[in-house]
Amino acid sequence: MPYKYIGRTTDFKGKSLWEIVGNLKNFGVGRMVVRSRFERYPEKSYMKILKVETLPNPEKPSIDDMRFVKVWVESTFRGKTFPEPIVIERTSYKTDFRLIPKDEEQEYCKSPVFDCTKIVPKTMEFPPLLKELLIRNAKAKGNSLEEEIKLEIFYNKQSLNTSYKIAKDGEKPTVEIVSGLGKPVSPRLYEGLK
Amino acid sequence: MLKLTPNLRLLSKHDATNFTKFESVRFRRRKPISLGTAKSKLFKIPPRPSQSEEEKLELQRLHNNYRTQMKSLRYYFIVNHSAEFAEASEDPEESRRVFEEDLKRCTSINEKWNEKQREIREKAISKQQENDIIAALEKVELEKKKIKEMKENIEEIVRKEKEQSKTFITAENIDAAIEQALANPVDYNFALISSGEKILGRDNIPGRDKNKASMNQ
Repeated sequence: MPYKYIGRTTDFKGKSLWEIVGNLKNFGVGRMVVRSRFERYPEKSYMKILKVETLPNPEKPSIDDMRFVKVWVESTFRGKTFPEPIVIERTSYKTDFRLIPKDEEQEYCKSPVFDCTKIVPKTMEFPPLLKELLIRNAKAKGNSLEEEIKLEIFYNKQSLNTSYKIAKDGEKPTVEIVSGLGKPVSPRLYEGLK
Repeated sequence: MLKLTPNLRLLSKHDATNFTKFESVRFRRRKPISLGTAKSKLFKIPPRPSQSEEEKLELQRLHNNYRTQMKSLRYYFIVNHSAEFAEASEDPEESRRVFEEDLKRCTSINEKWNEKQREIREKAISKQQENDIIAALEKVELEKKKIKEMKENIEEIVRKEKEQSKTFITAENIDAAIEQALANPVDYNFALISSGEKILGRDNIPGRDKNKASMNQ
């Protein structure tokens, strides 16, 4: 008979950490687990189990308290490995962990190839008042404004490696960054507005 | 007082120029969480909030644009601000002097503002203190009045009791009282007949003296 779940739904997917390590030889030291919440990022996040300690039974054991376990892991979050091991204890009860089979570990760890097809503009318009001020200041100083002044856009350095690249001279950006509404993703959302 | 949001209120109606005039409200007109879920709502499953994909993307785009612009502006100001001092002179000592002078100027502006705010604040505090003192004195007066009234009430009760004590049965007149009670037995029992007439006494027979209580108790 198929399961029929009742009650509130959850974003978690998987088992609690004790359900996984309790069933493994040597408590799964050396194996790889992932949190399904972190699988939404394009970069890979995973944890390698280094050491496992069980915890004493609580005084009043309930179904929620009995799921805790203390696990030291070498954690990689969004492609970056932390230098120090991380202890998972308070979050070990979350039924959000998934064990990666040994033969799939290598494949899972491979960082995906990012296609930086998104080209972002290098500069954008100043806010109108600031622009007016800057023009006045420049004129007061006697500078001639041959070309229009533009604000240079400051991008996140990490995202530049993975998600997009800045337009070079003469290159046409694929996205626009403006201070107003800009070009909507779907014009349907703005229908009927005055 | 003006309540802006459930947990923020404006203190002064006339001066809303800055955020020092706001106060967070610590009570909420809700049941405390410790009361638990109501019986009728115990098995209610609220639907998960859902957002359409295009709406999500649109909001994300607007948000990203806004953040990028703000970040760029902040960066622009930082770079330009430090460039001003670098431009001032080739000599780093001189640049530092210019920077410190500017800092001094900014600090003096800030201090001036703080001084103004301090005056306003102290004035408000002293006024509040005066009001508090007046309120406290009023409270003391009220309390005194209350105590006086209470004492008067007690005196009245004592006076009445003293007056009544003249008729009390004491060791001296107990024999006379017993004699009196035995001589005049009273029966409070009565029966009602269908016409609503009261027949006093347990052993009374209708037709006899109605108002005379029975002797046999």
